[in-house]
Amino acid sequence: MAKPMPVRTVAEESLIGKRIPKMDAPDKVAGRTRYVQDLNVPGQLHGKILRSARLHARIVKIDTSKAKALPGVHVVLTAADVDQRPIGVRKDHMPLKGDKVRSFRDEIAAVAADTPEIAEEAIRLIEVVYEDLPPLTDPEKALLPGAPLIHEDKKDNVAMTFDYANGDVKQGEAESDIIVEDTFYLHYVTHCCMGVSGIIADYQPNGNLLLHSNTQVPFLHKREFAEIFGIDPGRIRIIQPPIGGGFGSKLDIYPFEPIVVFLAKAAGRPVKLVFTREEEFVASPTRQPVILKLRSGAKKDGTLTFRDCVTLHDNGAYTSWGATTPFVMMQTISSLYRVPHCCYHTKAVYTNNPYAGSFRGYGNLQATFAVEAHIDKMADALGLDAFEMRLKNAQDPGEVTPQGMHFKSCGFKDCLKTVAARSGFSDKRHAYRVAESAPGRYKRGIGMASMLHVGGGAKIYPSDGCGTILKIDDFAHVTVMTGASEIGQGSETVLAQLVAEELGVPLSAITIVNNDTDITPWDVGVHASRTTFIAGNAAIGAARIAKTKILAAAAKVSNIAATDLTLRGGFVARAADGQVIMDLPKLLRSIHFQDKADLVMTTFYYEPPSKHQDKEFKGDVSAAYAWATQAVEIEVDLWTGIIRLLKVTAAHDVGRVLNRLGIEGQIEGGIVMGQGYALSEDLMVREGRIANPNFRDYKLITAPEIPAMDISFIESMDGEGPQGAKGVGEAPAICMAAAIANAIENATGVRITALPFTPENVYRALSSARGQAKGAA
Amino acid sequence: MTLANYAAPGTLEEATALLRQGSCTILAGGTDLMVQSKAGKVRFGDTLVNISRVAGLGGIAVEGATLRIGALATIAELRESDVVRDRLPALWRAADKFASGQIRNASTVGGNICNASPAGDTLPPLIAHGALVELATRPNGKVERRAMPLEGFITGPGKTRREAHDLVSAVLVPLPQADTIGLFEKFGTRPALDISTVSVAFVGRARKGTVSEARLVFGAVAPTPLRGAATEAAIIGKFLDEATIAKAADTAAQEVKPISDVRATAWYRREMIHNLTRSVLTDVARR
Amino acid sequence: MSLAAELPTRRIAFTLNGSPKRVSVPLTLSALELVRDLLGLTGTKYACGEGECGACTIVVDGKSLNSCLAFAVDLDGRMVTTVEGVASDPALARLREALVEAGGVQCGFCTPGIVMQAKYLIDSGRATSRAAIQRGLEGNLCRCTGYVKIIDAVAQAAGVNA
Repeated sequence: MAKPMPVRTVAEESLIGKRIPKMDAPDKVAGRTRYVQDLNVPGQLHGKILRSARLHARIVKIDTSKAKALPGVHVVLTAADVDQRPIGVRKDHMPLKGDKVRSFRDEIAAVAADTPEIAEEAIRLIEVVYEDLPPLTDPEKALLPGAPLIHEDKKDNVAMTFDYANGDVKQGEAESDIIVEDTFYLHYVTHCCMGVSGIIADYQPNGNLLLHSNTQVPFLHKREFAEIFGIDPGRIRIIQPPIGGGFGSKLDIYPFEPIVVFLAKAAGRPVKLVFTREEEFVASPTRQPVILKLRSGAKKDGTLTFRDCVTLHDNGAYTSWGATTPFVMMQTISSLYRVPHCCYHTKAVYTNNPYAGSFRGYGNLQATFAVEAHIDKMADALGLDAFEMRLKNAQDPGEVTPQGMHFKSCGFKDCLKTVAARSGFSDKRHAYRVAESAPGRYKRGIGMASMLHVGGGAKIYPSDGCGTILKIDDFAHVTVMTGASEIGQGSETVLAQLVAEELGVPLSAITIVNNDTDITPWDVGVHASRTTFIAGNAAIGAARIAKTKILAAAAKVSNIAATDLTLRGGFVARAADGQVIMDLPKLLRSIHFQDKADLVMTTFYYEPPSKHQDKEFKGDVSAAYAWATQAVEIEVDLWTGIIRLLKVTAAHDVGRVLNRLGIEGQIEGGIVMGQGYALSEDLMVREGRIANPNFRDYKLITAPEIPAMDISFIESMDGEGPQGAKGVGEAPAICMAAAIANAIENATGVRITALPFTPENVYRALSSARGQAKGAA
Repeated sequence: MTLANYAAPGTLEEATALLRQGSCTILAGGTDLMVQSKAGKVRFGDTLVNISRVAGLGGIAVEGATLRIGALATIAELRESDVVRDRLPALWRAADKFASGQIRNASTVGGNICNASPAGDTLPPLIAHGALVELATRPNGKVERRAMPLEGFITGPGKTRREAHDLVSAVLVPLPQADTIGLFEKFGTRPALDISTVSVAFVGRARKGTVSEARLVFGAVAPTPLRGAATEAAIIGKFLDEATIAKAADTAAQEVKPISDVRATAWYRREMIHNLTRSVLTDVARR
Repeated sequence: MSLAAELPTRRIAFTLNGSPKRVSVPLTLSALELVRDLLGLTGTKYACGEGECGACTIVVDGKSLNSCLAFAVDLDGRMVTTVEGVASDPALARLREALVEAGGVQCGFCTPGIVMQAKYLIDSGRATSRAAIQRGLEGNLCRCTGYVKIIDAVAQAAGVNA
């Protein structure tokens, strides 16, 4: 009788919740990663764009003769030379402007030349004759009679309007014991991705168009580019090189992209165009500036009664995603804390200012700034504790808001309680309030704010889904082809982690392919914090089908029921005790080379169970929702207005922590981005011109300025989320400014309703509140 | 005029000879020159003269009662120098708050002086210390050096008394007496990396709150660093009680000539001069 | 303004990542343009071109500086290190691993500049505390990470208590 084989077991090892380094980090640390700016295509020319020298003017004449004559210049294009169609949310935006210019970033001509320097020189040689038109740079004047008409084919300067209501605001007012009203001014900031915008357009010999593009929505872009150029979308391929930051800046099509394609077509050569940093500031979309008027009410026991919100959005010269921020803003106005009655209205008006796009948080920073200011105001007026009033109105799991959002998993109250406890909020707030009236140069304060954002996608497009194709080779190496792009946030690593969890293989055995529209299945794009949730579920779906197939084959070979088997550590094992049954690669080879040869190849398309909103913007638009609360402790220098952030205490309802390293990085980065939005970033648009298009005078937060951070995760285990997880990418940036505003009020007694809280702005507000200049008492 | 030649002299003799021969643009650390060149704002001479290899132009050394700071001494070297930190703390503070580590490694004291920016951070402390700028020139075969007060050397934004044939070779700082107080406050939200919005340098002596000597220089509030003569007059010989400090701060705010630009309005700059002067003098009063 | 390419050039000889290099450079060419455009080493990044962001940081004769501000002609006779040189340097394996393990990399565009500045801080003994590291990195902008894990990583690599 043969000696029995030694029994081998493999322990269960889950990667969920562990600290997993990003898969592409080693390449990035070595400087090996090639971003679009680093790519060069054989035979490429370099493109440059001539932008308008006037704010609002008719174009009388464009003389490109000197530019064309410059040695090394291959193509010079103006609107007259191209067959173009408009781009953008409202298709009001021609890539090359021929009749008139409406802002300083307007693209008038484009050049393709042998070197960027020659292209730059050629741009300087183009002569344009303008006929000035009256400027319009104040959105509050856009609808006055006699205001200059920005788009002359429209009857007025209204670009878009939004109206939403639930309940009856009049009834809410009648039930209120306190009503507060303020106008809030939210300013221009911009993404400042460290990698500037760039693109390479390369027509292939068969006439297909290949784009090396950093778009966050490659499949939508395919369709839109096809419309713009009148070609079959099936003949467009987009390859996404690693991206030097996104934050929502690459969600729309911007003129430079079709312009580069026009240049490539005309030149018969590939064309590469990369912005300078100044051009990046001047020509990139901004965050949506908003003038927001809010009326809020509550009963004397602190129960919220109503919110009535009216906003004016400066739409700029052309419409991009900024005009659609009301979709998100009304969710916060109607559903951040329980409010029975709500009314919301936005007018987005054309001006000659820069236009706004989508930017991490997508209007939620602006709306939360107003809502949370009023919670504090009402709490103080009613003599209630600011934390307790928030807790009283926070929703519970299972609630459905009047707007139709179903809060299946909801860690809101846990977020509030955790932050209040860990920051010592109520005691500190009281102590700082008492200290505020004492003499002294430095004052401390603490402020709290929460946020609500979609955490399971957002069904605004016909589909909010993502496809995955998965294959496993003869050596148990798994390739996952996913439609979801990696924009630096770590989605690639999370997807690998989720697949590893299902198939019991190490991360090193997984390759993620996510950057080529010829290979990967459709995904609507990276936005709305949706990628972990939706791409994650798509990857899990494909992995589970593969697992089922593998275990069925293993059951046949081993005579153990498939339901008693599992995949672990690169083996097929008995689920109950981990006893190794067979080597996974060996099983895969046996499937491949059996009589009926087969491979393990699976597909899955995940569409979240959310709903499109109806015409009244009501509906359960996301498969899950997420919350966060942040308390920010500050020190104000009354003599300069400088605010120092001492500590941020944050609690985020993330459903479940998947990659602990990655999620901490998102929160930390979002907190610092929120800090910049609140304190130092200010895109100064003066009469339509950006006065500070550089890092010298547009101040990003630097390493020595960051606060101490205490971050907690609330794991509310969402039923639909992959391993229970929800989206988190935007959340940490959203409530920082609101919390800081409340902290300033706590420290100084002054409520500042306009951003940013730069030292001069704070000093001015404190001075006028105290009715004195030349320093404080 | 466009550049036609390049030279990287190794000695002061060679460098000063080159400056006599044709129109030259001097390159030291390059941190200002490159930015200006890329922006198209440099009228280049005929020869780019790289002085960063000229022997004897570097270093920070005590020579008797003077601290000799070579023109090529970098801001990083100032920041790392024990004698600067201990004896010239106002200058040390300015070096500490200067730009970034990368820029401090390349920027030179000579460059900071010749660039003559209204916001140049080393200038107010150097002027407050009564520093002299040493110029080297070679009129007939021999290198000649002469020194003149830094105060007054700078005549406008980007303009100095240096003639085309002069090379700034050093800054000579009289070493102050042991009980000298040196302070430098620069407005900003960051420890460094901010171009000055306003700055205040104070070098002086005080005993139990009474000021015996004071030199106050304001930065970024006039076309050149501004000596606060009226503010000095308001405190020299006086006991720094709250009222005196308040009056001096008011005087300072009126003495300066700030502009409004993207960094700040003139109003705010005046407020900050007032408050920073008050802060500096409060500090002095405590010593 | 004349094109840099039309300006007179100067032949320079220097050591690049440990190997000798000879190249002709236009007089006003920046070191960044030399490294990226003439020598094809794309690890060093352009992110502002004005010395405000640190993405272009290289090390020359042991000191870190912004290559976008340095004149290429001034590299003559010097020892120049770019991130490509650090990638294979065993002495810096600890720094590279720390950045990866600590999560100090997201989009990675600022990373080469951070690596070079961190190398300088560690090699020159300036990474003495977390606060010193923060000051040492004040010239390097990052938009993704909020700096926390970058500081963690450099502190780890420098053997400093976090």
